[in-house]
Amino acid sequence: MKLLKIAALTATIVGALSSSALAQQKLTMWSRSTSEAFMPTLIKAFNEKHKTQIELQIVPSAEMVQKYATAAAGGSAPDFVSLDLVYGPAFAKSGVLEDLTDMAKSLPYFDQLSKAHLGTGTYEGRIYALPMSADASVLLWNKKLFKQAGLDPNKAPTTWAEIEAAAGKVNGLGNGINGFYFAGACGGCNAFTFMPLIWASGGDILVDNGKRANIDSPQMHDAINFYRGMVAKGYVPESAKTDSGKNFFGGFATDKIGLSPIGAFAIGNLVKNYPTVDFGVTFIPGKDGGRASFGGGDNFVVTAGRDNLQAAKEFLDFVYSLEGQTLLAKGGSLPTRADVAAEAVKSLDERYQIATEAMKIGRTPSSPVYNDIINSSTGPWKQMLNEVFFGNDVKGSVAKAQASMQSILDAAN
Amino acid sequence: MAGSRKSSVRGLFADVRYHGFGIIAGLLFLAPLVWSVLVSFKPSVEARQPPLPPWPVDGFSVQSYDNLAQYGAGIWTYTGNSLMVSAATVVASVIVSLFAGYGFSRFRFPFKNALFVLIISTVMIPFQSILTPLFLILTKLGLQNTLTGIVLVYVTLQLPFSIFMMRNAFDAVPKEIEDAARVDGASVLRVLYRIMLPLVLPGVVTVAIFAFLASWNEFLAALILLTDQKKYTLPVLMAAVRSGQFGTIDWGAVQSGVTLMMAPCLILFLLLQRYYIRGLTAGAVK
Amino acid sequence: MTSQQQPTGAQPVRRRNSRSRRNQLAGLLFVAPALALVLIFFVIPLGMAFWMSLHNWPLLGKPRFIWFDNYSRLLQDTQFWISLRFTVYYTVIVTIAIFAVAFPLALYAERSRPLTKLYRTAFFLPVVVGFGSASLLWAWLLDVDSGLFSYVFAHLGLTDKRINLLADFDTTFWSIVVMVVWKTAGFNMIILLTGLQGISTEVQEAARMDGASSWQRFRRITLPLMRRTIALALILSVAGSMLAFDQFYIIADGGPQNRTVTAVYWIFSQSFMSFRLGYGAALSMVLLVILVVISVVQLRLLRNPEGV
Repeated sequence: MKLLKIAALTATIVGALSSSALAQQKLTMWSRSTSEAFMPTLIKAFNEKHKTQIELQIVPSAEMVQKYATAAAGGSAPDFVSLDLVYGPAFAKSGVLEDLTDMAKSLPYFDQLSKAHLGTGTYEGRIYALPMSADASVLLWNKKLFKQAGLDPNKAPTTWAEIEAAAGKVNGLGNGINGFYFAGACGGCNAFTFMPLIWASGGDILVDNGKRANIDSPQMHDAINFYRGMVAKGYVPESAKTDSGKNFFGGFATDKIGLSPIGAFAIGNLVKNYPTVDFGVTFIPGKDGGRASFGGGDNFVVTAGRDNLQAAKEFLDFVYSLEGQTLLAKGGSLPTRADVAAEAVKSLDERYQIATEAMKIGRTPSSPVYNDIINSSTGPWKQMLNEVFFGNDVKGSVAKAQASMQSILDAAN
Repeated sequence: MAGSRKSSVRGLFADVRYHGFGIIAGLLFLAPLVWSVLVSFKPSVEARQPPLPPWPVDGFSVQSYDNLAQYGAGIWTYTGNSLMVSAATVVASVIVSLFAGYGFSRFRFPFKNALFVLIISTVMIPFQSILTPLFLILTKLGLQNTLTGIVLVYVTLQLPFSIFMMRNAFDAVPKEIEDAARVDGASVLRVLYRIMLPLVLPGVVTVAIFAFLASWNEFLAALILLTDQKKYTLPVLMAAVRSGQFGTIDWGAVQSGVTLMMAPCLILFLLLQRYYIRGLTAGAVK
Repeated sequence: MTSQQQPTGAQPVRRRNSRSRRNQLAGLLFVAPALALVLIFFVIPLGMAFWMSLHNWPLLGKPRFIWFDNYSRLLQDTQFWISLRFTVYYTVIVTIAIFAVAFPLALYAERSRPLTKLYRTAFFLPVVVGFGSASLLWAWLLDVDSGLFSYVFAHLGLTDKRINLLADFDTTFWSIVVMVVWKTAGFNMIILLTGLQGISTEVQEAARMDGASSWQRFRRITLPLMRRTIALALILSVAGSMLAFDQFYIIADGGPQNRTVTAVYWIFSQSFMSFRLGYGAALSMVLLVILVVISVVQLRLLRNPEGV
């Protein structure tokens, strides 16, 4: 928080100085609240070194899409946005985003940029979004609680059965401590942390180039049963049932949760804001082993029609420099440029290396209606997960979600 | 003797019952408000625990207010926005409804009744249903994402009530007072300002209170019409605070925000209770 | 719609006065700012809302005219009908609950005894707190880990462990009903109080002399004379509840499982989360018609109370 304040302060002062002396315009940029551990630091470092000044605003993650779309329609959109990469296609389709194809291709290190990001940043053959920050889903475990529960604090679980067994042991500690946590009323969070369970077991969610929903699969039912089992045994706290992503981190950060699948952003956040929590990082496994990850994070987009490409290039050059990549990595974002990745995370501990590995295998579903089917708080994915994790009619709920998602996909095509 | 004593015992019992109910029911209504204020003064860690006892055990602390102060552009920016929006809504509502109330009460012009009914009947139409077109119109006018735009919307929403109040207030003033002044050759505006305004002042105060409370507390329109974080009003900011930061909810900060939002409403009401109740009952009596 | 409405009884006192053109113009000028506001920010948007409802109107990009497609799609929108049914259910229950609390409070607060005013003020205070603040306050009270209720219930042995009240439909629903009653009972109390004070004490006294019990007096005198006031309070409560949004959005996120998504919530979500502005406008039109019908029916009943 202090940093944010300092960053804002510096930005204002530097901005005030430069605007009078150099008549340099100040560009606005929005970023969502999950990036609070690194974006302010990055922007501050950029502003100190450049004539171009960027003023950063942190927008609550859940409101980002609504705010950006409304602002764009109203002509008051920020110049740059660090946008959750899954929304790339939707915004590109609606014509809000500047075409970055030529600029992107002129970057000498273009081939080294994260493929997951470029995948969702490309719409109908043109590039509208470039990698900003990367966030792969991983599994975190609390070493202190593992030790207390008589588990080997340095041995990560590698199958669902091992996760459940460890969660059970930790849960046995009592005293308000629970084995496992996930935000049970959050579509976006569970896309990030629950889909990898299915992928690692050989299933998929969207097939046929994102045109067909494939919810009602054996892998899905296995994963549901895995979570249901832990809920039924009381390993998951009551609060998870209604957590719409507001408090997904609260328990783990206060030593109350044994294991939690979470984004790599959390690593930087923990290190910075909760230095006493002793945690390990591993891959999200499939049912009987294997590994998968959701390749998430943000893309950098430019609001169309503002003639800011030069400044955008200046900023991206900084982001993709070793310095930029290192700053990102320290704050919990994974490097987005492969050829400097190793160098950028070299000084960081092994937990970041695991997350970087996870990003390499990260998958990202791409669809212009991603928000409607997955992230929306009134959408089918969120509703289904809440029903199947905590309700009684698994079959019915899955079938209903399958139909509902397919009809949204059909309507969009 | 015995009889009167018995009845005084019964009277005492009735008194105890009466005040017992009043005190218990009154406390039930007050408790949540007090609870929220008390928890806002607990240190953050304590605010995360169930609020029993309600008061801070480890001593009063303003940590929650400090945390709240650091959100986004700083709490004072948002408080300032809210104050500005509310003040502007109050002033504009009073001026517009003072004129309109005077016009509808004292003048004759074509379609007068139809126009009055038109304005009053807008109260039947939920503004939520026209939020999207409002957004587009404000965009066309260059007022989207501006505090001016949202003030205009709030004033319009308050119009049916404000004009109804003001017309009644003017209707209650005897015509002769005004006529006397007109004979002396005073202009219409002068009469309105010098003679009528003091007489309808209670109505003005009522209009002002309602305009303040409505605009200070409004959430949905502000959520949609304001996109720039620096322009948020308090209710929109608080929704953001409630949605957590770094994936954790700071309930102490949320309740310090609630306290900050409640305080002006409660103080204003306690000071001007008479005018507020008058506004409420005006509709009921008519 | 407005043509059905008689100008309300509040006709200005008609007096002969000079009707010069100047006077007419002055009158028009006085009401002009109000008319302009209503025109720009109410009448035109209303027309636009209907126009938009005939379009596929994305927030970004070009609108496409599609006749009544949005309306036919709406018929198959299960979530909308679930939301509408839920909103009506909520409206009925919450209105009854508010009355069940507000009426006794009004009868209690009508007596003038020392301290009555103080009690009345206490009952009324939650009314002036905004719905947004009240919702944030109750969101905390209802939180399973940091709130009051689940902790108290578990400690009193009502539940065997701390339960998440917002994870179950019924407990969520009733929690919000309690919150709304707390927040609005004082308002209805004042409205009802005005009606009670309008009943002349002589009538009550005369009935008492005739030996009518207090229940009989309530049933035969108070209630019939209160009809108009009760109807007014009902209208206000119904209209307000049909438009409920803040409390369900802030406290429950429409959960569990979208079961407390109200009609306005669904319109908001379609318009500003999925950006189907045309479709959202069509939903709004339907809600608007329902509300106007309810208002007109209630106003009719209000005007001839015998018809109740």
